[in-house]
Amino acid sequence: MTIHATRTTGATGATGATGAVRDAAVDLRGLRRTFRSAHGEEVVAVDGLDLLVRPGEVVALLGPNGAGKTTTLDVVLGLSRPSGGTARVLGLDPREAVRAGRVGAVLQTGGLLPTLTVGETLRYLAACHPGLAGRRGPEAADDALHRAGIAHLAGRRVSRCSGGEQQRVRFAAALLADPALLVLDEPTAAMDVAARRAFWDAMHAEAAAGRTIVFATHYLEEAEAFAHRTVLMARGRVVADGPTQEVRSRALGRTVSIALADPAAARTALADLRPRLARAGVAVLDTATDGPRLVLRVDDADTAARLVLDVEGAHDLEVAPGSLEDAFLLLTADATTTTARTTPTANPTATHTATEVAR
Amino acid sequence: MTALPAPAATAVPAPAPTGRVAPLSPTLLRLELLRLLRDPVTWIFSVGLPGFLYVMLGTSTEYADVSAGHGNLAMFVMIAMAAYGAVTATVGVGGRAALERTQGWGRQLGLTPLADLTWVGTKAATGVVLASLPVLLVYGLGLALGAEGTMGAWLGSLAVVLVGASLFSLLGLAIGLGFGTDQAVAATGGVVVVLGFLGNVFYPLSGVLLDIARFSPMYGYVGLARYPLTDGWTSMGAGPAFHDSLGLLIANVSVWTVLFGLVALLLVRRARSRQ
Ligand SMILES: Nc1ncnc2c1ncn2[C@@H]1O[C@H](COP(=O)(O)OP(=O)(O)O)[C@@H](O)[C@H]1O
Ligand SMILES: [Mg+2]
Repeated sequence: MTIHATRTTGATGATGATGAVRDAAVDLRGLRRTFRSAHGEEVVAVDGLDLLVRPGEVVALLGPNGAGKTTTLDVVLGLSRPSGGTARVLGLDPREAVRAGRVGAVLQTGGLLPTLTVGETLRYLAACHPGLAGRRGPEAADDALHRAGIAHLAGRRVSRCSGGEQQRVRFAAALLADPALLVLDEPTAAMDVAARRAFWDAMHAEAAAGRTIVFATHYLEEAEAFAHRTVLMARGRVVADGPTQEVRSRALGRTVSIALADPAAARTALADLRPRLARAGVAVLDTATDGPRLVLRVDDADTAARLVLDVEGAHDLEVAPGSLEDAFLLLTADATTTTARTTPTANPTATHTATEVAR
Repeated sequence: MTALPAPAATAVPAPAPTGRVAPLSPTLLRLELLRLLRDPVTWIFSVGLPGFLYVMLGTSTEYADVSAGHGNLAMFVMIAMAAYGAVTATVGVGGRAALERTQGWGRQLGLTPLADLTWVGTKAATGVVLASLPVLLVYGLGLALGAEGTMGAWLGSLAVVLVGASLFSLLGLAIGLGFGTDQAVAATGGVVVVLGFLGNVFYPLSGVLLDIARFSPMYGYVGLARYPLTDGWTSMGAGPAFHDSLGLLIANVSVWTVLFGLVALLLVRRARSRQ
């Protein structure tokens, strides 16, 4: 299942590579990042990733653990250098953009100093911005605490804050210099439900102020609730890119399942259905037989349902939304078993399917 | 750099990076010191222990009043304990700075425009200010409990102890960067004790051990700190008196400063290339 990034058709209004690049908030091309493992082998964390984010967009980077989200965002933040390809942020080299105070970020991992209070932490980080010299530092710190909704924690030691509260301290730090671009790496990972809701409320205010926001998550609900655009990543590549709802239906699909007389009939029906589904333009993401039941994960559940009901002896139709867990399992499955799905060039039919899905 | 069209609605214009980089940030220095002083470990080991050692070793009525150059033996011991305390403080600050840089907080700082120079300058100043606490305590105890010397011996040794200690923050930095673990940095306290023995700090050395110790890092530093008192002579009753020339002591300090600096620089480069 490979869905090519379709910048030009995304509802985000990107207007093709050349015109969009100059003022892009984030522009990654052919980004590659490798690491040496402890045994000296090369680990490819990001493998030829293209991503263009326009100013004002809110983009979710959705993917299972190990997909390469953190590695990608580290490059955007200038914390790590690309092994290949190019990265530009707000038209600048990433590190320059950070030096100019134009990028704020909440990291997935990032220690705070336990012996400082929340307020002191913010004043410390404000003092790290030359643009917030003198009295502007403490003012910016107070303002950021308010916007992150943790003004009441200002006097508390960081070591006495919960994981979720510390995450909001990092969020306040990200807002300090009034950045044009906000980057958040799984910002709600340490939060309970209430904290999560409060966090996204605060984020809504920042998005409404016109900030460009790119955040990594492995919760589909967060992407759905917050991002107009979702980039689905797996194994260091973009697997799908478009409006969140479309990515959801195209990449995750819906499962259509139906009962047949016996397991053999289910297998026969599957063989019969494949070409008919293809002819009807339905992309099949995944298939399985479960005893006498036939299970299809497809992008267009209505058409698929019509076709399966036509099969002789078919009964007990069920349609359910595809789950992200299923998609992740598939995306992270061992390469040998899913080559046809994940490598477009390996198999012409798979390539066809991929194009279908991307359409 | 071409002018960029303003992104959709950045509320406030981006702060212009100022041209000149400050070598020190007073706010950061204040908060760094606050962190250290809130930690009881700082008070016990960096400040209290050198004072305690001075009282134990430098106030014995048997020999404290024995004259030593431009003062007495109590002052000889006082300078050594102050130097020991100062080095413990700066090695610790350097080591923890390295850890912070490579661990999570370093990533947090990496998201800010903070210049390397400002960071290094602030950490160095933090080390010196922290080092001045045990030094002032030990000198105060010395003043109260019988250390005697000329004004030149007091002020000259004080200046050398404080200034020279900063070079050991490079040693802490190198240890922190080289091992990158909390345990390694905690163990620097032990390293300083060993270097202290080799530096003639706790106990007068003689013979082959002394010949070797002359090449160890704290030897030159402590020797220089005592120079205003003893003009380079050392005699604490055990073994014959011996003399170190100013040139030898300066050479020791210079070579070690360069060595620590080079190792720290190499390790910083290594840490960078891993990014
Ligand atoms: N410093 C590193 N050294 C070695 N491998 C790494 C390093 N950082 C990340 N990786 C590997 O790169 C892949 C992508 O990791 P990451 O970007 O953290 O994914 P995600 O954030 O999507 O969970 C993983 O297989 C991870 O093990
Ligand atoms: Mg991650």
